[in-house]
Amino acid sequence: MIKKLQASKSEKILFGFLIILFLFSFSSFFLLKNKCIFIEKININNLRFDNPNNIVVMNLDCGNVVIELYPEIAPMAVQRFKTLVEKKMYDGSAFYKVVENTLVQAGDIEYGNIKFLDYSKIGSGKSGLGLLKSELSNEFEFTEGSVGFSRTSEFNTEDSEFFITLKEIPIYQGEYTPLGKVIYGLEILQTIKKGDKAIYVLRPDFINTIKMFKSN
Amino acid sequence: MKILILFIMIFSISNVNANEIYNLLKIPNLEVYKLKSNNNIRYLNAVKNFQIGSNKNITCDKISKKNLSNKFPIIEKNINRYNSNFLQKISLKYIVLCKNLKISNINTGGIPDNKKRTLILDINFNQKNFERMIHHEIFHMIENSFPKYFNEKKFSSFNNSNFNYAKCSTCSDRLNLDLYENTDGFLTEYSKSVPSEDMAEIFSFLMINKKKIKKKIQNDKILKNKVNFIELNLSKIDKNIL
Repeated sequence: MIKKLQASKSEKILFGFLIILFLFSFSSFFLLKNKCIFIEKININNLRFDNPNNIVVMNLDCGNVVIELYPEIAPMAVQRFKTLVEKKMYDGSAFYKVVENTLVQAGDIEYGNIKFLDYSKIGSGKSGLGLLKSELSNEFEFTEGSVGFSRTSEFNTEDSEFFITLKEIPIYQGEYTPLGKVIYGLEILQTIKKGDKAIYVLRPDFINTIKMFKSN
Repeated sequence: MKILILFIMIFSISNVNANEIYNLLKIPNLEVYKLKSNNNIRYLNAVKNFQIGSNKNITCDKISKKNLSNKFPIIEKNINRYNSNFLQKISLKYIVLCKNLKISNINTGGIPDNKKRTLILDINFNQKNFERMIHHEIFHMIENSFPKYFNEKKFSSFNNSNFNYAKCSTCSDRLNLDLYENTDGFLTEYSKSVPSEDMAEIFSFLMINKKKIKKKIQNDKILKNKVNFIELNLSKIDKNIL
């Protein structure tokens, strides 16, 4: 005669614990995959600015990053940035260089766009609008969320690439042309995909669009 | 295959040196020691040993905080003798402090890099002549920025016709930095190595002990011409340095 086996109390607790653990792991796997889950969405239609002509909205997968431009500090650089925004040349641009918790860089028009990504040349592309003179400022502090124009190791080589700092980088003061500051959505930039071992990102995240605030 | 090599180069070799100082100066393992100064010089120090250069032929070692805090006031005092306008003209903004600085395994006091606006200084180099060495290296930044003012051929013509410099600064054993009692056209043995080192030695002595050099040149016509040459051309860049 087969005797029916009855689970002891401790076995029942253990079994229950294993089920909870399994459910938790299963749900976490899907929740954590969504890097945008804890990002608060900004409704840009509710935002008001004193000078909307100097506000740009960068749309990324996790939401909108709002940047205020500073033409009074770097008039030529800001004008170039606005031109590239209005021509939609930044749309689809790759964040190909990401230094974890330090900065993200995008804006290679020629070789760093989702439509024509060239890993062998990325970072060396041109906009076709020519190089700009560096507009350095000893007053502008590269605090968290500062936007600067990238350059080569030489000054006066600014073109289209820009970076956004994810922490204060005092040594950049007076070294890079300041474009402006992020005023909303800095946490979105923290979700941008990093390289595993290098600062250059294989299969990077892209800018969906950058638009002037007034045109939204 | 080419693509594979390219991927390996881009994504594996450009590596963890990815901090903001490295981005700027292309020297790894540095931290900021002092960022703000009256003449806008920024001081950095090595927190780990580093190797730079195309063949990693420049090496320098990390320094302890204690060593640095002992030497830094001396370095800053000497660098503060140059105003920000002058330093901008000679493309100097960053001073990297480390020890056991070597280029191709040869010890050196400093390595100037005008392109990166950086001067690497060995804080343990020749303690007897340490302060003068700072100005010596600064001179190399000056001549690199204004080569037309410090023409080696013209400078060499002040020497006796039978004198020949070595082919390079480390190609001879003329390395002693002590001031000659009888100068005879040269302040130190190292002055005899190459014209640019001769000029740098004169400049550094003028910065450290101008009175003594002025006295020496009274009886040394060659040296007098050389000193005048340095002073005249330097005054074209900044009248107040010497």
